[in-house]
Amino acid sequence: MTDAERLLQRFLDQELSAEERVQFIARLGRDEALRQRVIALEQLALAASRLPRLGVPAGFVDQVLARTVPVRPAASRWLADLLLAPRTLRWNLASAMAVVCLVAAAAGAIFTSVASERVTNPAGSASVGNELARPVLVRLVVVQPAANTVEVAGDFNGWDPGRTPLEQAPGGAWTVTLPLEPGRYEYMFVVDGKEWIIDPFAVEQNDDGFGSRNAVIDVRPPRGSV
Amino acid sequence: MRTDGGANDAALVHAAQRGDREAFGTLVSRYASSILNITSRMLGAAGDAEDVAQEAFVAAYRSLPGFQLGAKFSTWLYRIAVNKCHDALRARRPGTISMDVADDDGERATWEAVDEQTPHWELEQVELAWELDQAIDALPAVYRESFVLKHIEGLGYDEMSEILGVHRDTLKMRVYKARTLLCQSLAHLAGAAVRGIKV
Repeated sequence: MTDAERLLQRFLDQELSAEERVQFIARLGRDEALRQRVIALEQLALAASRLPRLGVPAGFVDQVLARTVPVRPAASRWLADLLLAPRTLRWNLASAMAVVCLVAAAAGAIFTSVASERVTNPAGSASVGNELARPVLVRLVVVQPAANTVEVAGDFNGWDPGRTPLEQAPGGAWTVTLPLEPGRYEYMFVVDGKEWIIDPFAVEQNDDGFGSRNAVIDVRPPRGSV
Repeated sequence: MRTDGGANDAALVHAAQRGDREAFGTLVSRYASSILNITSRMLGAAGDAEDVAQEAFVAAYRSLPGFQLGAKFSTWLYRIAVNKCHDALRARRPGTISMDVADDDGERATWEAVDEQTPHWELEQVELAWELDQAIDALPAVYRESFVLKHIEGLGYDEMSEILGVHRDTLKMRVYKARTLLCQSLAHLAGAAVRGIKV
């Protein structure tokens, strides 16, 4: 833009100082062409603001809702509720610690049997049920030897990979254990913060509606629970 | 022009985040008109504006768990809608997003103000709306989206900058150039519907 155009733009956007504005208006009185141009530009903005609004088609809201699936509360919110309830806190910490010990003991056996890209099936394996509490500890494992970081994003963390990093384990494996309520969750792994990959061995995959697919994990209540 | 939800939006978003689909439906109803107007004016008359608007709402719904309640819902939603429009434009013309920006070194149109309203005022306004719609549709995309958000949706430059991810000074230039180009495009309406135009 030229200096003259920038001055005009600043006048139209009401960015001139009081002194600049007085000078500009005085100039409008002397310069008929400029005055006509200012009027034209202002008329155009006025006409645009008066353009008729498009109506919302009948059934639009219902069509949108039909294309959505119910949102689950974020895992962080669920965890906050859990931790704020003392009665629940005692049960879950104790049981969770026990389960973590079991998972750690089993991890060595799992990793030594790794021969392919994938270690465990998230939909079926490494999910350890807590017999007394509602959440189920689910272990996600993926092998990415060249990765610097691996995270997981899914329904359980608001699709925010930064909330759930995986920890590096021997053999190029990455793993994380999540406490999840029984239900269906979609998720993807995020490698090095930029590459979103589907769990190639997920038992179930689901179209995300945007031309890609998500892995689906079906967390079932532990046997014997109500 | 646009709906300003204020704190009420935050309450609805909070409820929707907890799985209240009725609350989300209320948000859709509240912003459907604005989003449809944005998508239709950004995408022109090609006919996929309604579908893109629906996609924007669906994407917003899926991203609700990560929405920070301190943010402004409408800004966040507009940004999703604009991004969906960009995707649609890319799909139409692979390799470009219609960011073709013409140099503004052409002739200048000037408008003449007319104070009187003629008996044909309403008809002229309909003609003007149609002509202006066509002219907006013909703008380069980067000018069109800036003009639509500024002068049709009535947003400020700070919010536009947040939505489009473009510096506010750049947006001011784009809006100004859009106005200038539209003046040139509508110059043929001299003395008529736009309350008087002459070149």
